[in-house]
Amino acid sequence: MMMTNPNDDMLEDILAQARGLTVVPGHGLMARVLADADAVQPDPSTVSAPQTGFWARMMDAIGGWPAVSGLAAATIAGIWIGIAPPSSVQDLAATMAGDEVSISLFSTDLMFDTGVLIDG
Amino acid sequence: MNASPDPFADAPDAALLVAYANGDGQAARILTTRLLPRVLAQATRMLGSQTEAEDIAQDAMMRLWKIAPDWRQGEAQVSTWLYRVVANLCTDRLRKRHGAVSLDQVSEPLDAAPSVVAQMQTQARMTALSDALAQLPDRQAQAVSLRHLEGLTNPEIAQIMDISVRSVESLTARGKRALSDLMAGRKAELGYDDDEPE
Repeated sequence: MMMTNPNDDMLEDILAQARGLTVVPGHGLMARVLADADAVQPDPSTVSAPQTGFWARMMDAIGGWPAVSGLAAATIAGIWIGIAPPSSVQDLAATMAGDEVSISLFSTDLMFDTGVLIDG
Repeated sequence: MNASPDPFADAPDAALLVAYANGDGQAARILTTRLLPRVLAQATRMLGSQTEAEDIAQDAMMRLWKIAPDWRQGEAQVSTWLYRVVANLCTDRLRKRHGAVSLDQVSEPLDAAPSVVAQMQTQARMTALSDALAQLPDRQAQAVSLRHLEGLTNPEIAQIMDISVRSVESLTARGKRALSDLMAGRKAELGYDDDEPE
């Protein structure tokens, strides 16, 4: 036996109203979120890295940590560079840093056309 | 004026997050502009209060900033991760409620202008909805919210909640039934006709 349920109708109406709410973040909230981001952002000049061994050689391959910190400038030109270490390096880094190192591959998703790099 | 397009404009969320973790000075602003509105909206719909939702939104974004150095690209979408974090923070907050109803958005009207009365009624309905959500088991509340407040599909919800699609269907059906029953006694108060069911 099928019966319409007015309670369900009310709920549907209220759910629809909730879906339709326009919610705009105020400037205060935006400012607080950005301040938080600034407060916890890693400092590129102090990004920790083992100074010897396999990891250092991997870093040298891309020009060292100054090259990584130079991403702030490089990103203006639109490049994101990731590093895919061999699993042995990842294990070493994890052992030394105590955390899993998450690093992205050189990925076509992240690389922009070289035309974007040319200034002017 | 340099007319070249902003290279950040179309970058995926995850790429911006990695750039942020590498010290980039612009990525956080772009991510915030993109992500904060939806995060705040999801929390507002679950909690029925934009003020409370702001706390949750700020908390969720802080968690995103903190996880940025460990973000593994290709494993999950930032949006999926945020839906999950906000849903969990909201059910945590709902569980702590002790039946207190807050009408913080609209104070007592000085006149009875229809728009103000309508605002109060909307607020009362949103509060009633969120109070009812607070009485559901967390996972029912999350599934129902993601389905009927955020409009996500069952497969999307399954990914967010890390459960099967069948479980999502079960949770949303039971949760919606429970919500309907919980709110049944408040029809007149919320401005609906209290007719006998046919």
